[in-house]
Amino acid sequence: MTGEDPGPLIRLYGLTGGRARPQGESFDLVAIVVTVGDLPQPSDLLPEHRAVLSLCRRPTPVADVAAHLRLPINITRVILGDLRRDGLISIERPRPVAQTIDERIYREVLDGLRSL
Amino acid sequence: MGYAVSEPGTTRAPSALAIKILIAGGFGVGKTTMVGTISEIRPLHTEELLSDRGIGVDDTSGVESKTTTTVALDFGRITIRDGLWLYLFGTPGQDRFWFMWDELALGALGAVVLADTRRLQDCFPAVDYFEQRGIPFVVGVNCFDGARRYEPGKVRRALGLAEHIPIVMCDVRRRASVRDVLTTLVTYAVKGA
Repeated sequence: MTGEDPGPLIRLYGLTGGRARPQGESFDLVAIVVTVGDLPQPSDLLPEHRAVLSLCRRPTPVADVAAHLRLPINITRVILGDLRRDGLISIERPRPVAQTIDERIYREVLDGLRSL
Repeated sequence: MGYAVSEPGTTRAPSALAIKILIAGGFGVGKTTMVGTISEIRPLHTEELLSDRGIGVDDTSGVESKTTTTVALDFGRITIRDGLWLYLFGTPGQDRFWFMWDELALGALGAVVLADTRRLQDCFPAVDYFEQRGIPFVVGVNCFDGARRYEPGKVRRALGLAEHIPIVMCDVRRRASVRDVLTTLVTYAVKGA
């Protein structure tokens, strides 16, 4: 490979301004991220921000966003926190797991696993 | 199409659901292999960048001199249908990354504790962790080649597990076997003993 990597740490610092924690309410590794529809994108977005907005037109869990961006989850969270602050994405609030899995979902999961 | 903008103060009906399952156990017990066997994608690998705070706190054997370090976080995905996924997260095997567990465990449906009968004691910390926090877990006894076969009852006694906690003999390289462990966990976590 040619081209010199300026150093991943420098790049990460640029993306987050050195922050280690996201803005606002905390969110889970598998919280669902959705791009808020139909808002014009600000013109000064970083490529990573654009990538998130494009990816999350389909509801996407935080961990998948990180994998897609090839960035650490901490860094991804800072980026997501910024986009949420700017009203460009919504991030699902934490829900108690017991309330999320009803009989129908339980059956779907079991059937899905059995068909693997 | 397009998604409705959620109004402040209202809770939108969940459009999608990702269910989190942890794969825990001692270092080298087969956590990453298990994730790779069942995941529809090559296990995604992300590295967590950590500051030095919290590292080495419980670890008297070595003091970190670096200001940052990384810990690999492997995870895999099983799509049940559009908008419904299972995510499997391998927990960091080294003791010094214990503090990451709290975040991983939050909101998890449950955990698989992988055990190797040749080093059963390696999974004690994981068993303790999930017991103390009331997180449902099953024990998967990974039957390595050449490992002596144990009766589940022996494993239960050795680990001091309550009767209701499922123990599954498994081979994490085999898809059907991993599937059985996961269906056992999901049923146990949702339906109880």
